[in-house]
Amino acid sequence: MTEPILKVEGLSKVFGGLTAVNDVSFELAKGEILGLIGPNGAGKTTLFNVISGYYAPTRGRIIFQGKDVSGKPPYALAHRGLGRTFQVVKPFAGLSVLENVIIASFLKHPRRAQAEVQAWRVLELTGLADRANLPAASLTLAGRKRLEIGKALALEPSFLLLDEVVAGLNPTETDRTMELILNLRASGISILIVEHIMRVIMGISDRLVVLNFGQKIAEGAPRDVARNPSVVQAYLGKEQE
Amino acid sequence: MEILPQVLLDGIMLGAVYIIIAIAFSLVYGVMHVIDFAVGEWIMLGAFTGFHLTQWTKVDPFLLLPLVFLIFGGLGYLIQPLLQRVISGHKGNPLLMGLVFTFGLSLMFRGLAQTFFGFYSHSIPSRFSTGSFFFEKGSFFLTVSTVRLAGLVYAAIITGVLHYLLKHSDFGLGVRALAQHKEAAGLMGVNNKRTSAYVYAIYTGTSAMTGVLIGTILSVSAKMGPEYTIFAFFVVVLAGMGYLAGVPAAALLLGVIQSVFLVYLDPGYTLLAVFALLYVILLVSPTGLFRKGV
Amino acid sequence: MAPVHKDKRLLGALVVFAAMLGVPLAMHDTFFLRVLTEAIMWIGLALSFDVLAGYTGYLNFGHSAFFGIGAYATSLLMMKAHWPFPLAVLAGAMAAAVAALVIGMPTLRLRGAYFAIATWALARAIQQFALVSSFTGGPDGMRLTAYLNPQYFYYVMLAVTASTFFGLWFLLERAPFGLKLKAVREDQESAKALGLNPTKLKIQAMVLSAIPTALLGGVFAYWVTFIDPGSTLGDLVSDQALVMVVFGGMGTLVGPVVGAVLIFAFKTLFWAYLSAYEVLYIIILGAVIALSVVFLPDGALGMVFRRRKAPEADLETPAGHAPEFPNEEEA
Repeated sequence: MTEPILKVEGLSKVFGGLTAVNDVSFELAKGEILGLIGPNGAGKTTLFNVISGYYAPTRGRIIFQGKDVSGKPPYALAHRGLGRTFQVVKPFAGLSVLENVIIASFLKHPRRAQAEVQAWRVLELTGLADRANLPAASLTLAGRKRLEIGKALALEPSFLLLDEVVAGLNPTETDRTMELILNLRASGISILIVEHIMRVIMGISDRLVVLNFGQKIAEGAPRDVARNPSVVQAYLGKEQE
Repeated sequence: MEILPQVLLDGIMLGAVYIIIAIAFSLVYGVMHVIDFAVGEWIMLGAFTGFHLTQWTKVDPFLLLPLVFLIFGGLGYLIQPLLQRVISGHKGNPLLMGLVFTFGLSLMFRGLAQTFFGFYSHSIPSRFSTGSFFFEKGSFFLTVSTVRLAGLVYAAIITGVLHYLLKHSDFGLGVRALAQHKEAAGLMGVNNKRTSAYVYAIYTGTSAMTGVLIGTILSVSAKMGPEYTIFAFFVVVLAGMGYLAGVPAAALLLGVIQSVFLVYLDPGYTLLAVFALLYVILLVSPTGLFRKGV
Repeated sequence: MAPVHKDKRLLGALVVFAAMLGVPLAMHDTFFLRVLTEAIMWIGLALSFDVLAGYTGYLNFGHSAFFGIGAYATSLLMMKAHWPFPLAVLAGAMAAAVAALVIGMPTLRLRGAYFAIATWALARAIQQFALVSSFTGGPDGMRLTAYLNPQYFYYVMLAVTASTFFGLWFLLERAPFGLKLKAVREDQESAKALGLNPTKLKIQAMVLSAIPTALLGGVFAYWVTFIDPGSTLGDLVSDQALVMVVFGGMGTLVGPVVGAVLIFAFKTLFWAYLSAYEVLYIIILGAVIALSVVFLPDGALGMVFRRRKAPEADLETPAGHAPEFPNEEEA
C-alpha cells in the first residue's frame, strides 16, 4: 500500500481556553477525495488552517508526502505542492483576474512569460478567460470562487484543500464546480474538501471524516457515515429517536 | 524620594485625563477601524479654542467645556462623511488611506493653528488653577492641586457618561454591534453611516474638551499636536487596540512617566522615552501589555 | 506584455530622458538649472517612496531617515575621512540599506497601520537624537567643502533619478517582483498560500526604497554644502513624498513622477511669491493629501487614464468583506 499523501496524527489546536481541534487523526490516500463535515463550529476551518500552515499545532503532527511539516508556514507548504482555497474568498481585488493567476503561476514558472502562459491555461480551465483583464473586484461571487480555485491550481499542487467552494453558488454553478473537482482528481490531485451542502460532499467524496466539537466522531464511506447515529445526533441534536 | 508619592499622584491625576483621549480614540478605531493621526491636533484645537473663548467671554474654561464639545463635535460630524467615503471605497487599502486622510487633516490643522493662533505657548487660566488641597499625615504630605483634581472629576464624569452611553443606551448597543460585525449590525437596522458619524463626532468633541483641560493643567501651543498624538498612540497600543479595559492602566502609566520626567529628568526627553517605549512595545507585543488588542 | 523594444511607455520615458540630457546645453540660466535639479531629486524621492507605499501598501513615515543617513554619511566620510564624493555617496547608500534591513525586520511584521505609527515614532526619535548628538554637529548641522558646479550636480541628480526610474521600471513592472509586492499589498494571507513570503518581500521593498533615497541624500548634501537635522531628517521629506505619491497616483511609476513635478512646481511658485505665508504651505499640503485621498483615489494619473470601468458587481456579500484573518505569526 502506497504512502498516504497526508497523515494527520493526534492533532490538537488550543486557543487560550478553547480547544478547537482535539486529538484528530486521519489519513488521505493519493488521488482520494476526502470530505470533512461537521456542524458549525466543529473545528473544520481551524483544522484546515493548521494543515495549511496558518496555525501551528498545539499537539500532534502533520505528515505531508512522508515528511513532517507541522508548523511550517503556508508558503513553504505551497512550495511542497499544497494548495488551498479560502472560505471567505481572497482575490487580489486591485489587480486584474489575469494578474491574480499570474502571481500564483510564479511558483512553478518564475519567469513572467511562462507564468503568463500558465495563467491563460488555468483561466481557460476555470472558464474565466473572457474576463482576464477585468479587475478581480468586478467578478460575481461565482467568478471569485472560480478564481480562487484557479489560483490554487496555478500552483500545480499535488494536494488541494477546498474550503466551501460551492457555498453561495446556484445549482448550475455548483454542478460545474463539482465536475471540475472530479476532473482534478482524475488528473492526479488529492483533495480534502470541507462543504456544508450535502449532495455535493456526498456526491464527490470517496470517504468522509466527521468532526464535532473538535473531535473526530466518525470516518468512512459516505453512505455508512450518513447512517451513523452519532453523526445524525451531532447534526440534528439530541432529540433523535 | 520624599516627593515620589507627590510625583506619582500628579502623574496619576494627569493620566486620568489621558484615559478619556484613549477611550475616544479606541471607539473610533473599533467602529471605523481607522487610526486617527489627527487626534493630537483635535486636542490642540480644543485647547486653543478654550483659551480664546475664556479670554473673550471671561467665563471659566470649565464652564465652557460643553460649548467646546458642541463646536468640535459638530465639526467632526461634518468631516466624517469624507472619511467614511475613503474607507468604504478604495480598491487597495481603505483603512490605510483613512489614516492618510487623517494625516492630511493633521497637517492642515497644525498649519491653521500656527496661522491663527501664533507660535507662542499659553496656559488657560481658571479659577481652579491656583489653590490646592493639602494632606498631611506625620511626615507624609501631599498637595493635590485643584485644577488636576478638577481634571480627575472631569475624567470620571466623562467615563461615566461614555460607559452609560455604550452599555445602557440603544445608541451604544448599535455602536458595539457595529464594532463587532458591520454586516450583521447593518442587517439588524443599525445605520452604519449615521452611527459612525456620531461616534466620530463624540470623539472629536471629547478630544477637544480634553484639550481644554490639558490647557489648564499644563499648557497649549500650536506645536503640541504631535506630542499628544504620540501619547494617544502610546496609551492605546499599550492597552491593546480596541481593548478598553486596558486603557486606565496604560493611561495612568503614561501620566506617571511624564510626571517622573518632569521632576527627576529632563522633560525634553519625555518624548524620546515615549517614542522609544512605543516602538519597543510594537515590536515585542503589538497587541498590548495584556495581549488582548486587535 | 509587450516586448521591451515595443513598449511605448518605455520609449516615451527614454525620449524624455534624452531631452533632459540636453537641457544644460541649451539652458544657461543656473538658477533655472538648480530648480530643475531639485525637481529631479523630488522625482527620485517620490519614486522610491512609492515602492513601499504604493506597490507594497506600507506607509513609511520615517522615509526621511534614509535621506538623512545618506546625507550625513556622505558628509561625515567626505569631511572627516576625506573620502571622494562618489565613494562616500555609495557608502551612504549601503548604510541606508543596512538600516532598512535593521528597521524593517521587526517593523514590517506589523500590519500597515501599526507600521505607520512605528515608523512615525521612530523618525521623530531619530531626528531628536540627531539634534542632541554632537557627533553629527547637533542642531547646527554640518558643512561640506563647496563645489560649485550646477551642471555637474544636474547630471549627477539626473543620473541617480533616471537609473532609479528605469531600474524600478524593470524590477516592478516587468519582473515578477512588482506583482508579488502588489499581492502582498492586496491580501497578505492569500499571498502566503501562493508561496510568497510577505515579510521577506516587504523587507526587500524597503531596502529597495532606501537605496535611491540615500543616494539622493548624499548628492543633496554635497550640492547644498550644508545639512542639518531639520532639512534632512525632518518630516518634510517624508510628508512631501507622501503628498506627491498620493496626489500623483500610487502603485505606478508615472504617478509619482507626475505628482512630484506638479507638487514641486506648486512649492516653487509658492515660495517665490507667498513665502511670507509660510504656514499656509503645510495647510495646503495637508489639504491636498486629504482631498486627494477622498476625491482622487487613483491620483491625478488615475483621473486622466480612467481604466475601463467594468461594472462593479458590488458583491458586499457576507463573504466579501470579512474582518482581518486571525493569524498567529503577527499581531
